[in-house]
Amino acid sequence: MEDNTIIGKDIPRTDGRVKATGEAIYTDDIKLPGMLHGKLLRSPVAHARIVNIDVRKARALPGVKCIITGADTPKIKFGNWRLFPATQDEFPLAVDRVRFIGDEVAAVAAIDRETAREALELIKVEYEELPAVFDVDSATAKGAPVLHENSPSNISIDRKIQYGDIEKGFAESDYMHEDVFTVHAVSHAYLEPCSSVAQADIDGRITLWTSTQTPYIVQCLLAATLGLRENDVRVIKPYVGGGFGGKMELRPWEFCAAFMARKTGRPVKFTLTREEELACGRRRHAMKLHSKVGFKKDGTLVAKDLKILLDGGAYNSMGPTATFLCGNFGAMLYRYPNYRFFGQHVYTNKPPAGAMRGFGAPQSLFAAETQMNIAAKELGIDPIDIRIKNAMVTGDEIPDVATISSCGFIESLEEVAKMCDWKKKRKNLKNGKGLGVGCYSFISGGVFNWFNTQYPFSSAEIRAFADGTVHLLTMASDIGQGSDTALKQILAEELGLKMADIRLTAADTAMTPQADLGTWGSRVTLMAGNAVIDAARKIKEQLFGAVSAKFNLNVIFDMECRDGRVHAAGKPDRGMSFGDAVAFVQKTNRGEPLVARGSYTPRGKGLVSPAFSFGAQVAEVDVDKETGNVKVNKMWTAHDCGTVLNHMAVEGQLEGSIQMGLGYALSEQFVMDNGRTLNTTFLDYKMPHAMDMPPGESACIETYEPEGPMGAKEAGEGLASPTAPAIAEAVFHATGYRCKDLPITPEKILKGLGKLED
Amino acid sequence: MSKIQFEYFAPETIEETVALLQAHGEGCHVMAGGTDLLVKIQHRVTHPKVLVGLGKIKELKRISFSLKSGLTIGAMASLADVAAHPKIKKHFPSVAHAAASTANVQVRNKGTVVGNICNASPSADNIPTLLVLGSRVNIAGPDGETRMPLADFFLGPGISALKPGQFVTSLNVPVPETHTGTAYLSLSQRGQLDCSAVGVAAMVVMDKNKCKDARIAVGACAPIPMRTTAAEKMLIGKPLTHKAIEAAAVRASKETKPITDVRASAAYRWKMVAVLTIRALIEAQKNARKQ
Repeated sequence: MEDNTIIGKDIPRTDGRVKATGEAIYTDDIKLPGMLHGKLLRSPVAHARIVNIDVRKARALPGVKCIITGADTPKIKFGNWRLFPATQDEFPLAVDRVRFIGDEVAAVAAIDRETAREALELIKVEYEELPAVFDVDSATAKGAPVLHENSPSNISIDRKIQYGDIEKGFAESDYMHEDVFTVHAVSHAYLEPCSSVAQADIDGRITLWTSTQTPYIVQCLLAATLGLRENDVRVIKPYVGGGFGGKMELRPWEFCAAFMARKTGRPVKFTLTREEELACGRRRHAMKLHSKVGFKKDGTLVAKDLKILLDGGAYNSMGPTATFLCGNFGAMLYRYPNYRFFGQHVYTNKPPAGAMRGFGAPQSLFAAETQMNIAAKELGIDPIDIRIKNAMVTGDEIPDVATISSCGFIESLEEVAKMCDWKKKRKNLKNGKGLGVGCYSFISGGVFNWFNTQYPFSSAEIRAFADGTVHLLTMASDIGQGSDTALKQILAEELGLKMADIRLTAADTAMTPQADLGTWGSRVTLMAGNAVIDAARKIKEQLFGAVSAKFNLNVIFDMECRDGRVHAAGKPDRGMSFGDAVAFVQKTNRGEPLVARGSYTPRGKGLVSPAFSFGAQVAEVDVDKETGNVKVNKMWTAHDCGTVLNHMAVEGQLEGSIQMGLGYALSEQFVMDNGRTLNTTFLDYKMPHAMDMPPGESACIETYEPEGPMGAKEAGEGLASPTAPAIAEAVFHATGYRCKDLPITPEKILKGLGKLED
Repeated sequence: MSKIQFEYFAPETIEETVALLQAHGEGCHVMAGGTDLLVKIQHRVTHPKVLVGLGKIKELKRISFSLKSGLTIGAMASLADVAAHPKIKKHFPSVAHAAASTANVQVRNKGTVVGNICNASPSADNIPTLLVLGSRVNIAGPDGETRMPLADFFLGPGISALKPGQFVTSLNVPVPETHTGTAYLSLSQRGQLDCSAVGVAAMVVMDKNKCKDARIAVGACAPIPMRTTAAEKMLIGKPLTHKAIEAAAVRASKETKPITDVRASAAYRWKMVAVLTIRALIEAQKNARKQ
């Protein structure tokens, strides 16, 4: 694509300067006249019946303007899986029962945060404690206390995927391996804690500024829980300081802010503390994975049987999606002729697990990639060779689930091997050093319509002006991943304009076109990008017709928008400036503004995703066999994200993924005691720092994804998966300790090496 | 959990400070850099009624050095000042290093070495090194100036030997004998910037191959940062062979009383005290030879 002027170039992010200087306005920066400050009272017990709540003393505290409990609310349950109302299991404030430490019980709005906080202390709640369960085994045991009245057991959802003949597959296998893996919960640890401000207008309609990835979903679910119509709720997304999947649902404080704003007539703001985020916030699913794989002697994969128990915490949250996706990711990367998956989502009395970067893939692929490494070792085949032998290629299908329309996996494996000098290095490393490989495949947005929207999955509106500028309106949500920049790039390229010629209004549900399902599953570039292209092409149709007529061009001529002009292809003089062309179109339409709507909804692409990305990563580690400390010396990555729209942006996603993968593999975990999270600050929640980042090298394998905008596909989430299995294999290579139970802590390594007793 | 509310005083002399501490009694806290105290207040762990900030007392910022009286670090000397001080880097490299590797740039610019000591945290990274160097704290109080060995200063987690009305004005580190070497090693689950799960400092004074004096201090493995004196005694007057070092390290480990907490298990800490003590003694011995 050398012809491009903007796509594939290192375009700096359009929001970089305001964020670096602190000028960017985040939700907590918003201050409205008369605004009240909200605080949430949370359950101190893991499972209990609420006997009584006495708010009289708190209400009497000077400065307290409003206190609500579940009893004051319309008691309407919510949940993202609107297509299946039975999965919607959460009240904005607890009704009669609490199910985890942190469950929201009451809300206070007061003249300042300190007063609200003081009022919480004065609310007296009487609990009758119930037996609780804290892991999937005890939650699924016979006679276990059941968390939800309308679910006969703690298994709230199950999903199956099956193709081929699994029994025949294992019968034909020369080599089989069966393992149980456990993976842990981790925090999104976005730098901006959740924050929401709600204002009610004279008719009681709500405007909500909120730190969210999914303004449209929040609008719909908030309206439903308040008993309002969708159009009575307007959601605006200011700058968002990261989400990683943790901000894609309706949250209790969004409801409370809106409900109390209507009740008091004053704006109400809630901002969570870091301690609340870590103690009670959404987290990545902990899982127990039982996986059996069968191979031929030569390393050809024959069969895989995967059973997963997801530790969902107290509510479904995004668990249904994670349950399905685990099974999908378990079937990705390699050709499994016979495959069976059974996933069960289990309620436990812990903070609910939700979506988090990779959404089932980091867990499922940790098991899959570790088993590939085990098989390679036991069959005497190089770990990269065995992967190349079984790798998916363009055109592969997972029956009834997905079609792979572009795939640069083999190229990624070959490239990463070349970059790190794999074969030579792996043989010649000194004692205590190790080299390991891990791979990933990921989706570019989801197909399955669990939200049951009647709108297109992504939409864009373009308004063109006679001064040569355009206004792009979209509900696509940039939460820090850089999609505003990517969408502007796509539009600028399509219309032959400069980045500075584009004004962007994003993610205001009352002003931008319905709808966009939000930022999750790495869907924005592909889906909103396609919607932008669709709208831009409609604008071009009009411009081309008018300019062609004005210059009396032969109808067989191609037309183009380039360098701020609209003209016959390759003949810049046979045309006019973009602005003049817009004015000309408007005049031919007797003053009508030049506006176009575009949209994208995936169709005929299976159940999962319109496109899949692939990649391979190698980690080199140094393990101190006396202390168990692991130092990651270097990471090499080669990945296929289709056409690279912006190298700097892809690089940024890669580095962020490695940082998260590093924490997932080595240092991050929740220390829990009977449902209570003990490490609720960044001092003891060990997210790696900038100084802990290893150096790295990366290469993009460019493929062209036919379903993607200009050939692009996912680049943001998939890379969260390969780091942990690559490091785990490197640790095995260095020490002989094979980790099947993340994270890889110094104590586990020493125990594995027989140097520390259990 | 009531509202955060306190009075704030910024005295200009040590005498004024003592008078304020006496006048307000319990609930009156001294603040140096505030990097720990303000967080504790915000988290409702500490509920001061009165804060006395030391920032306006000029003499407390001072760092001085002479061969006779050693190094004196004022209560308001920041970690960054200590880390960058040329005399400290030359004569007490391990003190400069401990300050330089405490927390991050922002904390080092505000936080102080003396404040780190007065917090009396068992895991404070500056303390083990200062313990093995035989440091003393200078204390001002209603009965005038007193001096106390640092080893006697810690009574429990967050509890120091300071009496009502007293505060630490400075820290004194004596000049070590020639052929002295020190080293400090720590472990935590996250690499560079973390609160230690185990920390060990060692100091040896060498007379050719013989160990004239030895000190070992362990952090985060007991209610206080502690010296392991029995282990030290095993080394003093003997050649520092690897065997002797190993035996002392095992002994040091036995002297500690670690617990299991969010950062590590007791079993791991015990094991690591031995590993780190061996390494610290070897490094200290190397450093001693450099002189």
